[in-house]
Amino acid sequence: MPKTKEWAEMTWQEKRQERFNRWLNPPDVKFVSKEAEKLYKQRVTRFIKAIKLEEPDRVPVMLPTGNSPAHWGGSSFRELMYDYKKGHEIWKKFMAAFGDMDIFNGPGFIPCGRIAEVVRSKLQKLPGLGLPDDATMNQFVEGEYMMADEYDKYMLDPTDYNLRVMMPRTTPLFESFRKLPPFSAIMGNFWVSALADPDIRQTFETLMSLTEEQKKWTAASLEINQYIREHGYPSLWGGGIMAGAPFDHFADALRGTRGIASDMFRQPKKLLEAMERYLQWTIETNIKNLPLTASPICMMPLHKGDDTFMSDKQFAEFYWPTLRRLFLAMINEGLVPMPFAEGRYNNRLKQITDTPPSGVVWYFDQTDMKEAKRILGGICCIAGNVPSSVMITGTVQQVKDSCRRLIEDCAPGGGFILAGGASVDSGKIENFKAMMDAAKEYGVYKK
Amino acid sequence: MFKRPDNWAELTWQQKRDLRLNKWISAEGTNFISKQAEKDYKARATRLAKATKMEKPDRVPCMIPTGWFPVKNAGVTLKEVMYDYELMKKVWLKFVDEFDSDTFDGTLFFQAQVNDLLEAKTQKWPGHGLPDDAHSYQYVEGVYMKADEYDLFMKDPFDFQLRRLLPRTMGVFEPFADVPSFSSYQGLPERLMMMCLDPRFQKLFKAIWEASKYLPAWWKASAETTQAAKTKGFPMFRGGMAVAPFDVFADSLRGTQGIVMDMFRQPEKIHEAMEFVLPQLLSGAIAMSDAADCPVVMMPLHKGDDAFMSDKQFETFYWPTFRRLLLGMVEEGLVPFPVAEGAYNRRLEYISDMPKSAVVWMFDQTNMANVKKTVGKVSCIAGNVPVSVAYTGTAKEMKEYCRKLIETCAPGGGYILTGGSTFDMANPDNLHAMMDAAREYGTYKKRK
Repeated sequence: MPKTKEWAEMTWQEKRQERFNRWLNPPDVKFVSKEAEKLYKQRVTRFIKAIKLEEPDRVPVMLPTGNSPAHWGGSSFRELMYDYKKGHEIWKKFMAAFGDMDIFNGPGFIPCGRIAEVVRSKLQKLPGLGLPDDATMNQFVEGEYMMADEYDKYMLDPTDYNLRVMMPRTTPLFESFRKLPPFSAIMGNFWVSALADPDIRQTFETLMSLTEEQKKWTAASLEINQYIREHGYPSLWGGGIMAGAPFDHFADALRGTRGIASDMFRQPKKLLEAMERYLQWTIETNIKNLPLTASPICMMPLHKGDDTFMSDKQFAEFYWPTLRRLFLAMINEGLVPMPFAEGRYNNRLKQITDTPPSGVVWYFDQTDMKEAKRILGGICCIAGNVPSSVMITGTVQQVKDSCRRLIEDCAPGGGFILAGGASVDSGKIENFKAMMDAAKEYGVYKK
Repeated sequence: MFKRPDNWAELTWQQKRDLRLNKWISAEGTNFISKQAEKDYKARATRLAKATKMEKPDRVPCMIPTGWFPVKNAGVTLKEVMYDYELMKKVWLKFVDEFDSDTFDGTLFFQAQVNDLLEAKTQKWPGHGLPDDAHSYQYVEGVYMKADEYDLFMKDPFDFQLRRLLPRTMGVFEPFADVPSFSSYQGLPERLMMMCLDPRFQKLFKAIWEASKYLPAWWKASAETTQAAKTKGFPMFRGGMAVAPFDVFADSLRGTQGIVMDMFRQPEKIHEAMEFVLPQLLSGAIAMSDAADCPVVMMPLHKGDDAFMSDKQFETFYWPTFRRLLLGMVEEGLVPFPVAEGAYNRRLEYISDMPKSAVVWMFDQTNMANVKKTVGKVSCIAGNVPVSVAYTGTAKEMKEYCRKLIETCAPGGGYILTGGSTFDMANPDNLHAMMDAAREYGTYKKRK
């Protein structure tokens, strides 16, 4: 038998194939039946072919089910934050009621309520915790958490900055971290006095008091996803990382929209320098030599590069270069970056063509898909974009029509995944079914 | 705490140093046990300050290199003292009452309970890798920073400390090796939460909280002992500690083998990293001296010794950043007190390149006659009664040895009589003999 090539000597396509094989043959899943296993492999193969810009048997579908099963099952986001079991029963029932889907996932984006209450982050509002009890989603709260003059401090020692500055600012439970000494003062036994401070101790004791709950939540989450896989439904997520664009790292989480807009004019060099550093760290710590994970696909929600947030020139200067290099680093590791372009990317299409063919999967929200196909066809697999409005308020026929147009525009030649423009939290199950039916009816590739 | 006057920036380094030394000599707020003790304290401190400045004091000052000798002197074991800070205090004060010296050298600063609890891997001590009756503890050199980690060390220092260095140097911190980097803020609270799921973290925090009971008690006992010695008239000739930039890497991080390879394979990384630590070493030394209200910064030196590296390597790697560190301290009015462990016979010319009377150089096995002729022209020198004489010699031999040293080094001022290393297991008579020699042969005659 020929010896398998060393990882470092493989081409990126070979590395990706290794990762695809791991996705196709998950060693940790015991399928409930031969049929389930067959379906699982068919479904994964469908995605792999689309990603490689080949023609699968038919257009693969990512149903935008999101947290809809909660609504369908008569429960709510808030209730499921506390009652994991109930959530899982509902998800299982939804899955059984639905039947054929190309992918499906558990309610993983619903966090653990008891922990969220204690570890309350100013960065996020949740139903009952800053949002009305009946809210169907969590809400990110943007703000200026890093000050304009702190880029240097951040770059000098990022971990120090995150632990001692950002944590206390964003999460009251970690207020005590302000009292941690800077790294240079910490040597050997000085750790003892640093960590033994009563307030710091309180923070860790609180965290540890929650570990039982966290274990339950994590176990429940693993269990439901395992159950779903065993029944033949793959997951797209599994790249193990939720990386974003370097620009968004600063624009979303640290400086906020107003702050970052000022920085682009007042201190562009600092911003570029900081993004460069962040890019290097991300590549070094999160991407290089990433072990084989459940799937090679890395979902990457993008925000501030959208048509309305910045000009083409700003996109070319601030947004794209580091994002592109992040993609290249991921591709080189055999990973499949799947940027989710929230908002509109019509102006950007011509600016994002310089990546290796089949390397990136672009998932669009409100972008003109016909244009996307015209410009990115042959370079990137594209996914999208039945509007949530149609999914929620449309009739079955309207959903089918919308899908049909998309398939006609984007499917020819392969490289298309039918998806929603965003997740739907209170959709009708028949509309999801209509979407699935449309793919089967209009999306079959002729041999 | 040393407070700088408003015109600090305008002062010369000599003026800054005088302010600091005078503050140290004055020992404001000290409740001396007697008028005599106060007089003795000031006489001793003045003697040391004058020698430092290469002036002639009343006589050659003598620092008995106490080390852990008080343990032997009290007839107990180091192991017992390490675990009992009340005993430590008693043992050291017994020494102070029984032996004369111009300084108090400080107490044992090894916290056995804390090292037990944290599972220190960089030390061996009695009962932990050394026999119960061992009379010292031992630093364990190793590769605690890998060859390719210089960049991380500089670019994300906290991360390096937390996730690489600590797990390698202290057992209880091992779980940090498996935690993802904190260099990205995204999801950090959740990651800390997940971290605490690992039962090893619960063990870590338990160990820390347990250790925190002992640590302040140790510091308190040590500070009280030093303070008690002071009220009895014995000044501490040390306000802080610092090390040479090269030794940061050679001793503590890369180890001898690692640093030797680096000098050939990635010399520029060592230089870059030494530049990185230089300002931290300087600000650390200043902070310690300010807090202790004593400008003397003791600097044990290791890998610059004659046998560890060539002249060219010394000239390239060791001396330039070390020299700048010394100059930085001098500029702040501090008195760097490098202790050249091993032999420095080949280094004397290099280290003579310093402003006059700015540094106090202590030597271990270097030829003192040569020292006097070279370094001795620009710096106060100290040393170097061998441990062998102190342990195995008679009192007469000791006195004789000291006489010769004084005759060689004392003329003109700028000499402190002391050992080449610490006298942990010395013959007690020899400690007295050393002091006798200083008094008998070391008196400077006043010119009329």
